[in-house]
Parts: sequence; structure tokens; C-alpha cells
Amino acid sequence: MEEDRSTTDASQLTLGISGEYMSGGYVLQSQDDDGEESLNDHDDVGMKENFREQDIYLPIANVARIMKNGIPQTGKIAKDAKECVQECVSEFISFITSEPLKLYLQKFREAMKGEKGIPGVSVGEGLGEELTDDSFTNQLPAGIITADGQQQNVMVYTTSYQQIPGVQQIQFS
Amino acid sequence: MSGNNVEENANHASNSKGISLPMTRVKLIMKSSPDVSSINQEALLLTTKATELFVQHLALSSFNNGPGKDQTLLYSDLANTVEEKETFQFLTDILPKKILVRDYLKLLEENPIEEADN
Repeated sequence: MEEDRSTTDASQLTLGISGEYMSGGYVLQSQDDDGEESLNDHDDVGMKENFREQDIYLPIANVARIMKNGIPQTGKIAKDAKECVQECVSEFISFITSEPLKLYLQKFREAMKGEKGIPGVSVGEGLGEELTDDSFTNQLPAGIITADGQQQNVMVYTTSYQQIPGVQQIQFS
Repeated sequence: MSGNNVEENANHASNSKGISLPMTRVKLIMKSSPDVSSINQEALLLTTKATELFVQHLALSSFNNGPGKDQTLLYSDLANTVEEKETFQFLTDILPKKILVRDYLKLLEENPIEEADN
């Protein structure tokens, strides 16, 4: 559906991903991945994919520059401070990606259980027959039933972060 | 196609003064979350910009929070800010306060029950 052709930045990765992923999973391969599965057994248990350190973090030069823009002109930044902010940034991105997803899944499941006023509907059933405009009175919190009866999964992202003003909606299509 | 327009705008934003973080890398990190399939281009742009603002906010809060010597932002400033401010609580696991080993051993001696729970 989308192709990643943004090659404007110098840190373009040649990971062989090019905006696609293998069907059925999220195995993203780095360059050196072939045949090196065994070496990664001792890797960080939290990371399922075989990412190199430079892949999972944003470039430290960029991070350091943004930090410098944030603090007063005369300030300096310790090296380990830069490194750990680099990690924090990756954590932040993962966090704001996963948290709304959890909310969405939770609401979606609640809705599908019929607790939110959509009686007798499950995703697997023939949605086209079950749903008419009359019976569908409550708004599905995390999905949209289009006119042809197909369920489209749309996630509305509401931020719980106070410090990021202006972030209102992100739609993951 | 509207999708291409959005992508062009995104590239333009990253070229001009808008964004200074590589969006491909941001996208990679976003995809590393489980259950995420594809990412809307606008969402990617927004996330990248939000990340920049986050970095600035974290840096400034930490800088103001701790008296790092000679106007320097130190790791300890970051760790303190993360512990104190509620908005940064999600970072507590990756920004622990550093403690000397001998102090830690002393703590263990004082609180042996705590260690048994671990």
C-alpha cells in the first residue's frame, strides 16, 4: 500500500526492507542477518529481531543537536547523557506506538463482546447482514463500519501525554 | 495520488527546517512494536516531530533540574528528572540512577529481605 522512497537523509538504511515486511510476521532482516541466527541467541531477550545497535537508535549526532537546541546556548552535554537520551528516544517512539495500540485492542475487544451496545455481532459473522443503520446506534469506539458492511479497523490515538501539545490524532491504517 | 503528496510534503519538511531526524529510522523503530503492520505517512511525520519535541523537553527539564557542574548536562540530571517528573516515568527502567557497587552491597546488608524477594 505504501512504498518507502524517502531517501533524503544520509542515513538511508539498506536493510532490504523498503517499506515491506514479510507476510505473517515481523521479521525484519538486517544486512548481516543471513545465517547468523545462532549468534543472536545471547542477544537481549527483549528484542526479538536481530537489530544492530545503530539500527534501533536514532543517530546520536541528530539527537545531540536537538538537545543542544533545547538547552540554553552556553550549556554542554556529557557524552553518557547523549547516549542515554538516544536510548530514551527509541523507548519513547516504541511507547507512543504501542500504548494507543493497546487501548485500541482493548476497546475493540470490549466492543466485540457486545458490552458497548452492539448486540450479537462478532467480527467473524456476516457483517453485511447483521448490521443495518437501525441496529447500529452506538458508535464503535475503535472501528468503522462502512456502508458496504465491511469492518475497517481504524485506531484513534488520543494522547495521555501532557507535554506534547498538539498531538491529537494518529491513524494507523 | 494523495499518498504521494503527503510523502512529498514529508520529505520537504525533513529537508527544510522542519524535521532533523531520519524518518526511515523512526519508522523502523515503530515497526519493531508488536502488532504494528503498516504506518500512515502522516502518523510517521507526526511521531518524528513529537520525538524531536520530546528530546528538547527532556533535555531542558533535566538541565534546569540539576545543577550539573559548569552548565553541563550530566547523566545524573537525567536520572533525577526521570524519577521526579511524572511524565517521564516510563523511562525509569532505562535510566536508573547509578550507584556505586559498595553502596549497593551496603544496602543489601541492611535490607536482606528485599534481596530475597528479588
